[in-house]
Amino acid sequence: MNAHVRRTFYLFAAGFVALVGMLAYWQVYARESLANNPQNGLQTQRALETPRGLILAGDGETVLAESVRRKTESGRVYDRVYPGGEAFSSVVGYWSTKYGATGIEIGQNSELSGTAEPATLDALINQMTGGPQPGNNVVLTLDPELQRIAYEGLAATATGRGSAMAVDPKTGEILALVSYPSYDPNNIDENFPELANDPTTPLYNRATQSLYPPGSTFKVITSAAALKAGVRPSDEFFDPGFLDTPGYRVVNYQRKDFGRLTFAEALVFSVNVIFAKIAIKEVGPELLYQTARDFGFGDPYDDFPLPVSASDLGYPVDQWVEGNTAQISFGQDRVSSNVFEMGLAAATVANDGVMMDPRIVREVRSPDGIILDRPAPSTRHRALDVGTAQTLNGMMQGVITTGQLTEAEVPGVEVAGKTGTAEAPPGQPHSWFVAFAPAEDPEIAVAVMVENGGEIGPQGDAATPAIPIAQDIMEAYLKGEGR
Amino acid sequence: MTQRATSPMILALLITSLGFATLIFAQEAASPPLIYGAYYTGTLFVLYLGVRLLLPHSDVLLLPIVTMLTGIGLVMIFRLTYDIEGAENLATTQAIWILVGSGAMFIIVLLFRNYHRLFDYKYLLALGAVALIASTFTPFGYEVNGARLWVAIGPVNFQPSEFARIALVIFFAGYLAEKRDVMTATSRTVLGIQIPALKYFGPVALVWAASLGLLVFEKDLGSSLLFFAVPLFMLYAATGRIAYVLLGTVLFSVGSLVTYFLFGHVQLRVQSWLDPWEDPDGTGFQILQSIFNIADGGLTGTGLGAGFSQTIPEVETDFIFSAIASELGLLGATAVLLAFLAFVYRGIKISLLAEDEASKLLAFGLTAMFALQTLVIVGGVTKAIPLTGITLPFVSYGGSSVVGSFILTALLLVISEKAGKREAEETLYEDGA
Repeated sequence: MNAHVRRTFYLFAAGFVALVGMLAYWQVYARESLANNPQNGLQTQRALETPRGLILAGDGETVLAESVRRKTESGRVYDRVYPGGEAFSSVVGYWSTKYGATGIEIGQNSELSGTAEPATLDALINQMTGGPQPGNNVVLTLDPELQRIAYEGLAATATGRGSAMAVDPKTGEILALVSYPSYDPNNIDENFPELANDPTTPLYNRATQSLYPPGSTFKVITSAAALKAGVRPSDEFFDPGFLDTPGYRVVNYQRKDFGRLTFAEALVFSVNVIFAKIAIKEVGPELLYQTARDFGFGDPYDDFPLPVSASDLGYPVDQWVEGNTAQISFGQDRVSSNVFEMGLAAATVANDGVMMDPRIVREVRSPDGIILDRPAPSTRHRALDVGTAQTLNGMMQGVITTGQLTEAEVPGVEVAGKTGTAEAPPGQPHSWFVAFAPAEDPEIAVAVMVENGGEIGPQGDAATPAIPIAQDIMEAYLKGEGR
Repeated sequence: MTQRATSPMILALLITSLGFATLIFAQEAASPPLIYGAYYTGTLFVLYLGVRLLLPHSDVLLLPIVTMLTGIGLVMIFRLTYDIEGAENLATTQAIWILVGSGAMFIIVLLFRNYHRLFDYKYLLALGAVALIASTFTPFGYEVNGARLWVAIGPVNFQPSEFARIALVIFFAGYLAEKRDVMTATSRTVLGIQIPALKYFGPVALVWAASLGLLVFEKDLGSSLLFFAVPLFMLYAATGRIAYVLLGTVLFSVGSLVTYFLFGHVQLRVQSWLDPWEDPDGTGFQILQSIFNIADGGLTGTGLGAGFSQTIPEVETDFIFSAIASELGLLGATAVLLAFLAFVYRGIKISLLAEDEASKLLAFGLTAMFALQTLVIVGGVTKAIPLTGITLPFVSYGGSSVVGSFILTALLLVISEKAGKREAEETLYEDGA
């Protein structure tokens, strides 16, 4: 009888071995394919049950996104709450288990979700023991006050569509980045279908992802190229009111003719004919193209945590005919850009020709406050030599002073800037303004664009709603600095 | 012998306490886990001391293994239910049942040290078993999830089949030990296969018939499988005749096929095993959640308290092994399976060392039942075989299951005491000589 008993035991033992084999199949071999199975809701639930890190504004105190605990039938889950609401959503984005994530929520997801490489001993122990791994906190460079001013300024415009950015030219820290209309990320799960179908595209980030003709604000870059080509601000040019190129006639804004003008004056009065002439005769396509690239055109800023559409000059440079070069010189033809790029271009002039890497994350902190990462400001490259940059700076100050742009003035400091009224048929032109202040030692550079905001009035003058918004941002920032 | 046994016991209690201690951190729970840990440690250690005192020569590893498995079960039940509304008290209930089981074990150890008396009442026990099963059809019985296998007497609810199983194993052990010689000897040969005498086969066939009856009327697939297979294994062990096994297998296959075509719930079980993806939110939901959670554990597990096995319906009873595999990983789940295998090994060893045939068969029958139950439910939740609703011994939530498993262990302990005593006396004699 013992032999039979023993044999049966071998059978049972074989059964146990088979079970271990079955387990190994599920837990090792088939693990990944099961984890990615659409029927498998465990990863989503894991995401819901782990608190994500905070997103904080540049003051390190203003909470822009936090995970708030809620008790449910199946245990505790965390809701993502955005105290900053609509004004910050173009940067912060949303995080939804239904509709994915955007903005910093996805750009810094590995930090926020706690899935980054463990950075502290606690995190390492937690990860090894399989314990909960709350996400790290991300502190942005945004100035919450400037962000609100920019948001409210854009909200108050007639067309109600536009974007704005502000940057510290010396560090590349983004101080404000607003797209309007915006959305409330707090109720994204309910509102998403409606927002996605909204014709004003509130989910789209106009400041970084949309592209528009920059119009005359591009003359800053053309001027830089002209200065590099040896044109001096005092050099005189003649404007007969038009310039004929093969197949295209350049005329001035409102078809004015200015007669004899210096190069500096041509920038002040934004004389298309003279810029086209300089671009064709003095600069040439190659240098104009190269200068635009030095200012960031063609670059999608891959290291920036938000998606950026690369600004573009249109056709490949070797295919430009004179008509292209002429129109590109004043930011029309197929030139496309956004406030993110044009703001960085202004900041580069402000920073004596050195372009800084744009940054929006100031630091990453562990849940208990240990600073895990604080990237130092880094130089991208030098776009202009110091002398050229300072000359251009002076010319841009002239735009405000000689041009009597009183709307743009900030009490007590010099402002440098350039307006733009970019034709956007069939709609009204876009109203642009790029600026920086104080001109002699710039602390802030801004770019504002109001979509179709450059409405032509009865006297033929275009409205310039972008200017007061930029002025408000600069004034608030410079006042705040003195506090 | 006492000293050899104490360190595994302490180790088992430490594992349980460590589990409860981990839950404090993982679930930010306050003192309840510690109270459970202290209560459990106290109960099982007292039980252990009592058993060592009364049965000093009994098997040294059974109780530590039981302690570890029951402890892991209690930790998992607490972890899975402490924050679920309406189920917060399951761990407390389980703790009370563990106390009842310990009491039952102690009583058996105290009163049935001469367990041979049990065989004198084998027909009475068989009758009692049938009565227990039939009791679910009295007004006391009621259905849960479509299976009528519960009885409520006053405030106490229990599954009579858990206890009927043990009574039947005792009956079979006694009956087969008695009839073994005639059943082996009297046989004819048809086509070269030895056909056993059908006369003595009667009681076995009767139980098989009852088993199929259970399958049909109670819709209890797991229990009926055990009722069927355990006597078969015992028959094989007693006679060594493969013919019995073949005959039983054919009968069972025919029975299964008939029930498959006759009853929707059997078809459903098989369908959801073959292709759970067909209806992932309906019939396939439970097994798929089980597989997802097991896979989620990976090699080392999510860590105690960090998994999501609460998504599996019935996780604290039939599917508790999925939760273990999810949170303790392949390594932890394999360790738990090895503990089960160690229990089976000790049971088989007790059977091998037992003096008389009835004892051998009883130890073997109980061990086979334990092994099969484990294989069937773990195989079911890992989708190795179709799922049959049955508890994982010691680990699953369930009063009847826990008390039944403790009684089973107690019987194995008293059987081992006798062989251990003989061995000790022989050693003493040899030393003296």
